[in-house]
Amino acid sequence: MIGALKYEWARITSIRSSYWMSGLALTLSAGIAIILCLVVNAANDAGDLGNLAGQSTFSTWIVTSGASGPGMPILAAVFFAVMGCMAMGHEYRYGTNKATLTALPDRIAVLASKSLVLSAWVAAPALLILLLNTAIAWLFVDGMSLDGGSLRPMLFFMLYCVGFGLAGIMLSSITRNQVGSIVAVLVWPLVLEPIVFAILRITALSGSDIGLGKLANLLPASAGRRTMFRPFDLFANLDVSSETTIWGLGASTAVFWIGIAILVGIGGTLFVKRDA
Amino acid sequence: MALIQARGLSKTFGGKAAVQGLSFDVVPGSVTGFLGPNGAGKSTTMRLMLGLDNGDGVTTYDGVPYRELKHPLRQVGSVLDAKPFHPTRKAVNHLRMLAVSNDIPRSRVNDVINLVGLGDVANAKPKTFSLGMGQRLGLATALLGDPGTLILDEPANGLDPQGVHWLRNMLKALAGQGRSIFVSSHLLSEMALMADSLVVVGRGSLIASGKMSDFISTSNRNAVLIRVDNPELMTRELRARSAVVVTEPDGRLAVTGQDSDQVGGLAHELGVRVFELSNREATLEEAFLDATGASEEFRASMGFGNQSPAFGGPMMGQHGYGPGGPGGPSQQSYGQPPQQGYGQPPQQGYGQYGQPPQPGYGDAPPQGGASTPTPADTSSTEDDHRRNGDSS
Repeated sequence: MIGALKYEWARITSIRSSYWMSGLALTLSAGIAIILCLVVNAANDAGDLGNLAGQSTFSTWIVTSGASGPGMPILAAVFFAVMGCMAMGHEYRYGTNKATLTALPDRIAVLASKSLVLSAWVAAPALLILLLNTAIAWLFVDGMSLDGGSLRPMLFFMLYCVGFGLAGIMLSSITRNQVGSIVAVLVWPLVLEPIVFAILRITALSGSDIGLGKLANLLPASAGRRTMFRPFDLFANLDVSSETTIWGLGASTAVFWIGIAILVGIGGTLFVKRDA
Repeated sequence: MALIQARGLSKTFGGKAAVQGLSFDVVPGSVTGFLGPNGAGKSTTMRLMLGLDNGDGVTTYDGVPYRELKHPLRQVGSVLDAKPFHPTRKAVNHLRMLAVSNDIPRSRVNDVINLVGLGDVANAKPKTFSLGMGQRLGLATALLGDPGTLILDEPANGLDPQGVHWLRNMLKALAGQGRSIFVSSHLLSEMALMADSLVVVGRGSLIASGKMSDFISTSNRNAVLIRVDNPELMTRELRARSAVVVTEPDGRLAVTGQDSDQVGGLAHELGVRVFELSNREATLEEAFLDATGASEEFRASMGFGNQSPAFGGPMMGQHGYGPGGPGGPSQQSYGQPPQQGYGQPPQQGYGQYGQPPQPGYGDAPPQGGASTPTPADTSSTEDDHRRNGDSS
């Protein structure tokens, strides 16, 4: 296992895409944070909404590049997911899986080391994004305030990024196709789930619900997205009946990670069982 | 310096057997060539040997399966693809990455990259490499752990003549150090210069295994050539002595089953005037084509063989190798009816390899490969090959 970890660390640090992807995630997340700072400052100047900068909810929103509020995709997670796709996809695209598996015949160790190293790699720039965004918020917004309630969205921001990285690895393992896995990891959370989520919720709210509203809770990417919301129940005011109740933080966290675990199970099994 | 023992290797793709019951040994101190037509299962066999494909059977390296080797790169080096590298990872980083996985000293990376002649481009990205340079980097990968065993799939592909020469000398030198070298190649002339022993497969089954000289001696192309003034009489009398006689296009008789002394003596007895009497020795290519002619996986559907006056001769593996072949005998090439063609060579000519292919050889995959035709077990090799011939 140590050899596999060393190998994977050498792998991830010896290709440019690791740095490009992490750098883009960092830069674009910081760019979004700057834009959000401008939005908050503009709202403060208008004065209609009170002192937004003084509200820790909005400060958290800036620090997480919008992740703690609805409606904005987590750009950093997308880049880390693509990194995950490349971590495994390169093996198939360039035929390096044979070199990898002749050097390290223990496939479980190979997959575990890929997952561990990528998770550690992703967690580092995700943390850096939060720190950089905090600095940006302090720099651009007067009266910026964070409190204890800010920690949960920030922690789950990191976990969400790690989860997406793992999803990328496993989708590449399943598809054995880098392009296909990148498409899947982008389309699923950014296109497919929002459409399904909207249909299920609208169906429930229209009164023709037969319990479909609750199914929206089972969409893993959406559930993971909600774990970063501050407050958690941002959609609570949309509920009209028990049929559309948004599940709690624990349940949503579980749904997200069960989804990742299912991908790990399928991807891991196929990686071990299939021919190289 | 590991003894490789492959036993009962089998692999099926979609219900079709790519490798079936393949067993052989690769002994230390020798270069063992791995030959077979396209689709014969060579690459699949090598992947099975390295634990990359899931199949039946087992390959051990000094008794240990590949997946149980603690530091596999230090015991078995392999090259299976021409350019299995990330295009933008520097060559030296590719090797360092592999080195750390098997606790190979960093200094060894520089050693092997210089050994294969890539020292000047160690910091270049493989996307700029030619096929030959990619092969050299692959060889560096294989040599990285200074292993006692090398498994190389077509390592000469893309190498220029100097590169092929270098490769040959290097592999022979490595074998001379007591290492086991198992190498597949389509370059039969190169293999003839490089290999000491051969493992020959066709349609996933073992055709022959043993010393190259023994394999070549089994070829039907080994013959006594004689040109006489009365070929009809000479042919009749030779056949009466159980010899196989084929009339060459130039009128000479190619005789197998009798040596030149016997043929010359017979001519003298018959009072036939002899204009030429010589021995023809088969090349590795001829022996290989003899052995695998009916076991080609892929063949041209439009013949350039005996139906084509433009080309005149048979297409190897399709025509001209005896009555059992799909195309039947090649009248133009060998000028004899099927029973006298290349499908039924003399039985005594096959030595270690047992009997030659019978008519229809290869139509049904031989089943004898699961046994062990090791160089040290001649009798079993003969039995196996005899079964191969009989089974079709």
